Amino acid sequence: MIPEFEYAIYVWSSYGIFAVVIAWQIVQPVLYRRRLMAELREELALQSGDYNDPNS
Amino acid sequence: MIWKTIKVGFHRLGSPASFYRFSTLVSPWLWAGFALCTAIGIYYALYVVPPDYQQSDSFRILYVHVPSAWQAMAGYVVMSILAAIALIWRIRMTEIMAMMCAPIGAAFTAICLATGSIWGRPMWGTWWEWDARLTSMLVLLFIYLGIMGLYAAFDDRRKGARVACILILVGLVNIPIIHFSVEWWTTLHQGKTIRIFGESSMHYSMMPPLIWMTIAVKLMFGAALLDRSRNELLTQDRRKGWVQKKLKSQGVS
Repeated sequence: MIPEFEYAIYVWSSYGIFAVVIAWQIVQPVLYRRRLMAELREELALQSGDYNDPNS
Repeated sequence: MIWKTIKVGFHRLGSPASFYRFSTLVSPWLWAGFALCTAIGIYYALYVVPPDYQQSDSFRILYVHVPSAWQAMAGYVVMSILAAIALIWRIRMTEIMAMMCAPIGAAFTAICLATGSIWGRPMWGTWWEWDARLTSMLVLLFIYLGIMGLYAAFDDRRKGARVACILILVGLVNIPIIHFSVEWWTTLHQGKTIRIFGESSMHYSMMPPLIWMTIAVKLMFGAALLDRSRNELLTQDRRKGWVQKKLKSQGVS
């Protein structure tokens, strides 16, 4: 049940901004870590000679 | 005995491998605590506390605005302590953590400014006013962005961090200005209503969500700081033995 407020647009937009910014703070490090891990995986594969070049 | 354990534990965290283990272990618990406190806080804020007799429901913005403002300032103080430790004792982990405080602090400052502006429109009749509190908070956002930019501008991360640490300590002067701005100058922004020492002018029935949300953002700050620091550590140490060993043992998960 969504409460009905006076000044609802102001209240909900504030909570919305809070949710979006906090969600980005959660998601951004996860995405960065995924990208970093993919790079490290590739480097490790290169070092051990198991690298499959997608362009070859 | 306890002091010695804390001291040894703190020194161990200076080791990248130990910090990595520590942050991997602690961060999920902080996120869980944040989720729980936010759920309780938002439930109270939107469903339980009564409307304000003057501001009606618009006052509910306070429960995201005030904790964010407090955390933006508290985050800066934490960042300054880390920067001072990094400059004095040259501990690399504190250097990394100080740098990683900046984007999180900037996020809280942005939330504070945006929600404050949205709250100001129906209550003050304006989105923005160049009064001391609002302007000093905007300066805080610029300082945070300056620190991030300065750190990113150097190819040598450690050099960038040291320069940024100096800027952090210089920017610390803005924190008391923000805090006392409503006392030193006549501002459109209201004065202090919540006091840790002394009586608050806010009714006690409106306090629980504020407390829950304040704890929530503190836990969130800690969790995000550990996550970001761990990522930065991996980036910097990607060629080092401990990372290679960990990657090989875990199969790069």
